[in-house]
This record gives sequence, structure tokens and C-alpha cells, in this order.
Amino acid sequence: MNRNSGTFFFRVPRLFHLGVLGLLLSIGCADSAPHNGASSSSSNGSTARRKLVVAMVPKATTHEFWKSVRAGAVRGSKAADVELLWKGPLSENDREGQINVVQDFITRRVDGICLAPLDSRALVSVVQEAKGEKIPTLVFDSGLDDTSEIVSTVATDNFHGGEIAAREMGRLLEGKGNVLVLRYTPGSESTNQREDGFLHVLRGEFPEIAIVSEDEYAGATAESALDKSQQLLVKYGDKVQGIFTPCEHVTLGMLRALQERELAGKIKFLGFDSSPRLVDALRAGTVHGLVLQDPVRMAELAVITLAAHLRGEKVESRIATGESLVTRENMDSQAMQRLLKPETYED
Amino acid sequence: MAESSRFAAWRPLRGPVSGLAAVLLFFSIAEFFHEYHKSQQPFSQFASNYSSRFLTARNARTVLIQTATVAAAALGMTWIIISGGIDLSAGSALALAATVLAWMLHANYSGWAAVAACLCVGTAAGFFNGWLVSTLRLVPFIVTLGSMTIYLGLAKWIAGETTISPASEKIPAWLTLLVANPPRPSWLIVAPAVWLVLLLAIGLSILLRHTRLGRHTIAIGSNERAAWLSGIRIPRAKIAIYSLAGCLIGVAGMLQFTRLSSGNPTSGTGMELKMIASVVVGGASLQGGRGSLAGTLLGSLIIASISSGCTQLELKNPIQDMLIGAIIIGAVLIDRSRQ
Repeated sequence: MNRNSGTFFFRVPRLFHLGVLGLLLSIGCADSAPHNGASSSSSNGSTARRKLVVAMVPKATTHEFWKSVRAGAVRGSKAADVELLWKGPLSENDREGQINVVQDFITRRVDGICLAPLDSRALVSVVQEAKGEKIPTLVFDSGLDDTSEIVSTVATDNFHGGEIAAREMGRLLEGKGNVLVLRYTPGSESTNQREDGFLHVLRGEFPEIAIVSEDEYAGATAESALDKSQQLLVKYGDKVQGIFTPCEHVTLGMLRALQERELAGKIKFLGFDSSPRLVDALRAGTVHGLVLQDPVRMAELAVITLAAHLRGEKVESRIATGESLVTRENMDSQAMQRLLKPETYED
Repeated sequence: MAESSRFAAWRPLRGPVSGLAAVLLFFSIAEFFHEYHKSQQPFSQFASNYSSRFLTARNARTVLIQTATVAAAALGMTWIIISGGIDLSAGSALALAATVLAWMLHANYSGWAAVAACLCVGTAAGFFNGWLVSTLRLVPFIVTLGSMTIYLGLAKWIAGETTISPASEKIPAWLTLLVANPPRPSWLIVAPAVWLVLLLAIGLSILLRHTRLGRHTIAIGSNERAAWLSGIRIPRAKIAIYSLAGCLIGVAGMLQFTRLSSGNPTSGTGMELKMIASVVVGGASLQGGRGSLAGTLLGSLIIASISSGCTQLELKNPIQDMLIGAIIIGAVLIDRSRQ
């Protein structure tokens, strides 16, 4: 028994020696192949009208948000009549993995790449590499430090989202009162924009509203957000009439803290992004409004814009994908339901 | 007689070489049929126009760069595994070294000083592991499991729990050229980082076969008690082995930084497993005493080729994960059956 399995495995490598020889030969041939391939595909009539191939590289693949992005990308690929390839890094937050995926798509000679960069710096060089191989890249969802090499940035206008929240806050407080902002974390581009947009409008358009605190950071987890919210409410709980939080988990943490101190519903509370629990809170009146992004539309626009560029049309260098405010009054409208329960991709 | 003994030196590499050949063969054939299926052309017309994307010089260059970081650190891991040890902290030590490099550049130190600090941090991390293993006489698995989190914490502390991105004019040009794809100047064929890893592997192979430390490493891994009885000073040898591996982790940290242009404390999480997988697929025994640096290079190439091939074939991430796992188990099985 033992001997049999031994000889079985022993023979396999021997067979592979032939394989090695064949491979060395084929690698030798393949070295000169890409040039032939490139010229034949451009001159050959039957391949000239082949579909454009667009690769989309998300930040991650295992979140609901990215499933909505993928659903939008599929819509976009149908509208623009292109073939869509979809692949993200194997694990979350794997910058090197994302670079590898983009490089592999360059190797695959796709016609264009839609990239949601995990890091505004780390992905710059691979975008340059793609351009060197004449493959244009469009960036969506988050920005890139160096925009000189990309077709366009398709993303939520976070500053504008913050402005929308500030105007709603001004309306809710009738132009006067004390307001508190709990920030997310230093160095996070998108949420900084939201906070700054909110503060900009509040200061500029509502002179009688005072900002009592705007330099506290909630941190990366719902737990740290809850801790910080509790501390802030101990200090300012009986002074403030309005609160703004710039992302989903900070909103959740603040909501818990408000409920513990029985202030929920009494203080006007606006957040950014949604989740089922925040939708419930909106209906219950403990959250007064949420600014929503549109992942489906974002991905759809990204694919359509890149396809337009590939067909030689001129495209805008920055495309905002729409930000809207959902409140208890409008939350059941069709437009808001589409954003609160975005479609998701199913295999 | 001389002929056969020279041939015998290549014998241990037969497994990884055939493994790599099998992977390349599989993906090139699979790519051919995948593209044929998609093209909806008659077979003869398709075959005459077909050119592989997987088997191209460009893909070879890309896969080699993609594997350089893991391969450099895996060379050090090979020494440790040959000596019968293991280093679970290698991933976070790598990220720590890269973070220190980023921090130094950000704080306006020169490129050479930053790289030197990066190598020193890697070496120090290895030295600390070796010191704990040999003086406290703890199992390396436990020691490095602990130091893994220590290094992670240290890196987070240095980086202020965020990503350090030094301004691009602060990063010296020669650092970014290390991983340029295509390489500049072009007569290098592959990026300088790949040559660096290759030279390190050759140097370390010579060290392993022809120096006292190398022979002691194999002796300790084969039978620690026998090595001790024959007068090898095991604690000193172990500290040297882990420090050497740490220095290579420093090199890997430098390569990772040049690819990312930023230092992130968590960027090494899980990389230790990729290193160990490369070493094992390369034919080393986790029991110690056996392994080769060339095998490790081939092992890391096999894993990188699978990732590349899966993208070319449009295979989904879950399938890629399972495939890599199956290859690791398969490699160990084939290896064991040959003994």
C-alpha cells in the first residue's frame, strides 16, 4: 500500500520533466508573441469590433457596500456595452494585494481600469505603470494624490454632503443654538471633507449658531465612538441643541450615548451614511436626518465614463455622484428607498 | 562519479521545479481554452491568432516583482525552519521595519540612514526573538506568537495608529527604481529588487553550505541534542540565526515600502503565513534539518503564479484562496511520499 502510493508520486515528477522542457520552449516563443498579438488584433477585421474590456478593482469584496457597487458596475457595463471584469484584493486593507490585482489586469491587457484606491499614495505608481502600457485608469469612491495620470475621479462630493447637513441643521434649529461635531479620525480624507463642509456652511450662513466642540475624534470602532460620545455628552449634554457625526459607526455610537442619557430625540441629530439600525432610529425620530451616498450610481457612472473615454469622447475630470438627505418625512419615497436599500449584486 | 554527485545536489529541487512547471502549464492551457471558449471562433482560426498573456515576458517580470517582498523574508524564514524553529512575528516585524523607514523619511532623514534603520530594526526584531528562544528556553511558536503582537503594537505606536506617507520628493529616486516595472535601465530585464533577492539567495546558499553557522543550523535542526552533545553552542547559534533572518525581514520591509510608498503598521498581517507556505512548498521540512533557499524562491514563485493565473482566468477570490490552500497541502503530501 505504502509502496504503491510512493511510486505513484515518484512517477509524477518524472512526467513533469517533459513539461519543463515544453514550457521553457513556449516561454521562449511567448517572449516575442505580445508584439505579434498587438499588431494582429488591430489589423484583423474580426477582432477590431470586439467588445471593450473594463476591469473594476474595488477596495474589498465582502461588504454590502461593494455588492451595491458591483450591481451598479453591471448596470454601467450593459449601458455602455462593455465586458466587465471584477476582482478585489484577497483580504481587506491589503494595499500590496490591490497593487498586484491592478498589475495582473495590466498583464491581461484590459482596455481600461476602474480603481477604488485603498490608499491615496500607494496606488499612484501602479496607475503610472498602467498608463505606460497605454491602459487608462479611472478612480472612483476615493481620491488619489496624483490626479495627473487618471481619466477622471468619480466619487461622492463629501464637502457638499456636509453642506447639505449643515443647512438642514440650520433649518431644524431655526438659525440659533449650540452645535457639536464629533469627528471620525485624523487623516481620513472623505470624512474630513464632510466635517469641513458642515462647519463651513454653519459658520458662513448661520451666525447665531455656536459650535461648542469640533476637535474631538471618535476613532475607528463603534466602541471608541460610544466612549467618546459619552464623555462629550457628560460635558455638553445640557448645552447643545444639535449634533453632527460624519460616518455610520460614529453615528451609531452617538445614538447609543444619547439613548443612555435619555437625550435621544430631544437633541437634533444628523449623521452621514446609513444602516438598518439607523433607518429604525430615523423612523423612531431619534435621528433627524442622514446624508446618503449612491454606490450603485457611482459605479455605473464610473464604467460609463471610462467607456466614453475609451471611445475617444471628452470626459469631466471630476464627477460627483449625488448626495441626498433622508429624513423621517421623505424616507418612504421611492428615491430614498432606493438609497436606503440599494440593490446588491447576486451571482 | 563526480557527475552523479553534482546531479544529486539538484535533487531536492525536483519537487518545487516540477510544481512550478505544473502550475505554469496548467494556467497556460486553462487560459487557452478559456479564451477559446470566450472568442466563439472556429478552433483553427482562434489557434492561429492566439497569443498567451500568462506566458509573456511582462507577466514574468510582474510576478517576479510581486513575489520579491515575500521571497526576501522567506529566505530568512528558511534558515529558521531548517534550524527547527519558526517565526510567526515575521509579518509584523516586516511592517514595523517598513513603518520605521517611512517615519525616518517623513522626518527628513536621508534615504541611506532610513534604509539602515530599517535593516537594523529588522535585525533587532530577529535578535529579540532569538534571545527569548535561547535564554528563556521557550518554544519558538509561542515566543514569536507573542512578539508578533509586540511588533504590531510598536509599529502602531510609531505611526500614531495611521499610515505614514512621506511626501514623494522625500523618497530617494533609487528606492523607487528598485521595483520599477518595466525596469530602468531596461537592460536589467527585471526590476533591481528581483536581482537583489536572487543575489541574497545565492549568498545565503553559500553561507548555509560552507560556513560554520550554516552547518550548525542544519545540525541543530536535524537533532538538537546531538548537536549540543557535539559541542555546538546552541544559544549563540540560535541568536545568530534569528538575527540573520531579521536582517532579511528588514530587506523585505524596504521592498514593501518601495512598492507602497507608505508605511502602514498592519501591512504585514498574514504575511508570515505566505512566507511559511513558500518555504514549505519549496521542500523544507517543518521538523527542521532540511530545506533549500532555491526551493523557497521557487515556492514563493509558485504561489505568486497562482494569484496571477487566477486573475488572467477571471477566477473568483474564494476559488483562488482554496486553490492556494490545496497547493500547500498537496506540496507537503508529495514531498513526504518521496522520502
